[in-house]
Amino acid sequence: MDSIELILASAVRLAIPLAFAALGEWIAERAGTLNISLEGMMLGGAFTAVAGAHMTGSPSAGLAFGVAAGLLVAVVHATFSHRLSVNTYVVGLTLNVLVLGLTSFLIMRTESRQVDKLTIPLLSDIPVVGPALFDQRWPAYLLIGLVPAAFWLVHRSRWGLEARAAGENPGSADVSGIDVNKRRRQALMICGVLAGFGGAYLAVAEVGTFNQNMTAGRGYMVIAAVIFGGWLLRGTLAGVLVFGAADAMRLALPALGYELNPQFLIASPYLLALIAMTFFAKSHRGPAALGQPFVRGIT
Amino acid sequence: MPPSTEQSRPAGTAVNGTAVPSVELSHITKRFGSVLACDDVCLSVNPGEIHGLLGQNGAGKSTLMKILTGLVTPDHGEIHMAGSRVSVNDPLAAAGLGIAMVHQHFSLVGRMKVWENVTLGERGRVDRDQARRLVKEVGERYGLVVDPDAHVENLSTGERQRVELIKCLRRDPGLLILDEPTSVLTLAESRELFSVLRRATTDEHKTVILISHKLDEILHATDRVTIMRGGAVVARRDTAGTDVRELAREMVGRELSKWTAASAVGAMDALIVGEQTAAEGEVLLRLTDVHATARDGRPLLRGLSLQVRAGEILGIAGVEGNGQAALGDLLSSLLDVDSGTVEVCGSAVNAGKPGAMHRAGVGVVPEDRHGSGCVLDMSVAENLVLADLGEVASGMFVSPRKLRERAARLIDEFDISVPSPDTPMRLLSGGNQQKVVLARELAARPKVLVVAQPTRGLDVGAIEYMTERIYRAAQDGIAVLLISTELEEILTLAHRVAVIHRGAVVGEMKRADVDLERLGMMMGGQIA
Repeated sequence: MDSIELILASAVRLAIPLAFAALGEWIAERAGTLNISLEGMMLGGAFTAVAGAHMTGSPSAGLAFGVAAGLLVAVVHATFSHRLSVNTYVVGLTLNVLVLGLTSFLIMRTESRQVDKLTIPLLSDIPVVGPALFDQRWPAYLLIGLVPAAFWLVHRSRWGLEARAAGENPGSADVSGIDVNKRRRQALMICGVLAGFGGAYLAVAEVGTFNQNMTAGRGYMVIAAVIFGGWLLRGTLAGVLVFGAADAMRLALPALGYELNPQFLIASPYLLALIAMTFFAKSHRGPAALGQPFVRGIT
Repeated sequence: MPPSTEQSRPAGTAVNGTAVPSVELSHITKRFGSVLACDDVCLSVNPGEIHGLLGQNGAGKSTLMKILTGLVTPDHGEIHMAGSRVSVNDPLAAAGLGIAMVHQHFSLVGRMKVWENVTLGERGRVDRDQARRLVKEVGERYGLVVDPDAHVENLSTGERQRVELIKCLRRDPGLLILDEPTSVLTLAESRELFSVLRRATTDEHKTVILISHKLDEILHATDRVTIMRGGAVVARRDTAGTDVRELAREMVGRELSKWTAASAVGAMDALIVGEQTAAEGEVLLRLTDVHATARDGRPLLRGLSLQVRAGEILGIAGVEGNGQAALGDLLSSLLDVDSGTVEVCGSAVNAGKPGAMHRAGVGVVPEDRHGSGCVLDMSVAENLVLADLGEVASGMFVSPRKLRERAARLIDEFDISVPSPDTPMRLLSGGNQQKVVLARELAARPKVLVVAQPTRGLDVGAIEYMTERIYRAAQDGIAVLLISTELEEILTLAHRVAVIHRGAVVGEMKRADVDLERLGMMMGGQIA
């Protein structure tokens, strides 16, 4: 029983930074950007958060720094791919390499306190699910508000209607009087804020320090989760949980005495993502204009 | 066309020129690079009339209307509405002035619901209930019935056009522009559309501009007509005082041959003499109960069967999106069958294997000239040998000399106007690109020739050439499968007509037995 509780708690804990980023990626993809630079947004957010927390002495202020870094990456990405019409994948990959290089170069031996742990008495004592749900750092509980807010924004608001139109059929959206590239830039910036926060959460709230390339492909896992989830919000969150669980198994199995090849364990979440994509990605259709630049003109 | 639209025309309103024009475009000029799309164009439309704008592809009609709707900014010229000068810089400004346009390729988002599409482009909060109610209200007012909660991608093209009309009409525009609205509609749906337009002008006092290259439709639906050619206005007529021949002459600039008449100007009854007799050669292409699905699981072909004999042209008629593209892909080995067989010259072909169809002797002039017909950045000479490298290569090496010789021969034979065989494909006109594709396919000496939308977007000269070449190919004993959404084109060329609907052939008749009424209903899926 103990081990299930442990693994579950660790799965949720590991899924939380992914969930923030996944909300952002989901919004960006619905608006038509397959945002590769998510990895860079998270990594930049993680680094800046630790640096910020060190400077100000407040881990919470560090989170704000992380958000700013994610937003900065988003603004650069948006300007290149949705103003200057540069290939969005090239921009995204370049940004990822740039952020990885910059953060590795600027690594400072900073230590940052962890953000205060917010536990809910009684509830966190519930067996099995208690520690998983009610024993997290306080920023994690922002998700309770952010998930419905993201759903409302995409599926109920005027902005979301226009952003989805931009992702499905930019030509039609343009003819209807919608500024396609503006909507895409805005969606990308929302993604930057959320991904930056996710990265910052990982560094400040979970690990408490910054290591070189500490996101280690988590951004790509989130992109996989959105595809795995069939571009639906609930599917995306389920994908994030599955990948979080795989990550938790990796950490927990050796601790519980199972002997497995460590290389295989490290690779397992990524393998799982690959397998999941093979089976699920085909049965869903993404936004029709996903990843295609939009340039106005005569046709 | 229904006589009722003729009778309900408001006497006097259309023809008297004394009223202030509802919209007036003066001296509009627009240049795209070296192409003069609009050359000093003046157009004046009276309130309450249906005004036809007639011209071939590339005559400047669509550009002119894009200027009026704010999608394109003119280099020179002024726009006046109801006597006062206006500037239309973007689609929102046009909407503010009461100008609405139904685009040739619909401005709808397939994965969204009808009500979501209708509210797209408005401002303020999204109110689902109000939007649904409005869809119903506007629908009832104009006789456009559609379910507000249906997803647009599940609707037929006729229904989609209703949604498009509702989207325009709910803003209560004073001026409604329709760009080639019937190109995707069946005969019955076109009639329905024209009666809705007539209702909009007589009951609601709206003004309508109808862009078309089809004479039939201009004659039946409009009050006055302005004819454009090569970017300029060449004639203005009252519809009642003109006829098919005059309009055709003004539009094309010369008398028409047998080949152009129908395909180019869409006048079936007046100009075509049906003289085709079916040939009785052996069956060269036979498809039996073919089922195929798209990668995402959508069924594309559902039990399609057909056969084409040597020397025969079989026309596949149908509303766009009923499996024509899949049929073309299948015969180009781009799509595999789930079940059923494809036989060429009596032997079965493994359709999904790349190149199998070509090796079996099937030549294809594909629908999407730029996407799969040719490589735009390669030279004309290279494009001419793409299908048949063996003839110019020995082992691994391509001989540049043989390549150029062969290109020169084909350019001469097919009358392709091109500065040199090394010119990139991209620089050629649409007509010459299509000639290159056709030349390449015919040079491979196919047993079966598949031509999909062979004249789409071409000018009259090129249409004439293509039509004649296809006819001659059949005369030479090739089995020709002509896939087209232009009924006129099929009726000009085909010996037999098969109707495709929802991925299957639902009916077949000889050219001589064609009854347009019945054909239209088959295309709409009402009778099988």
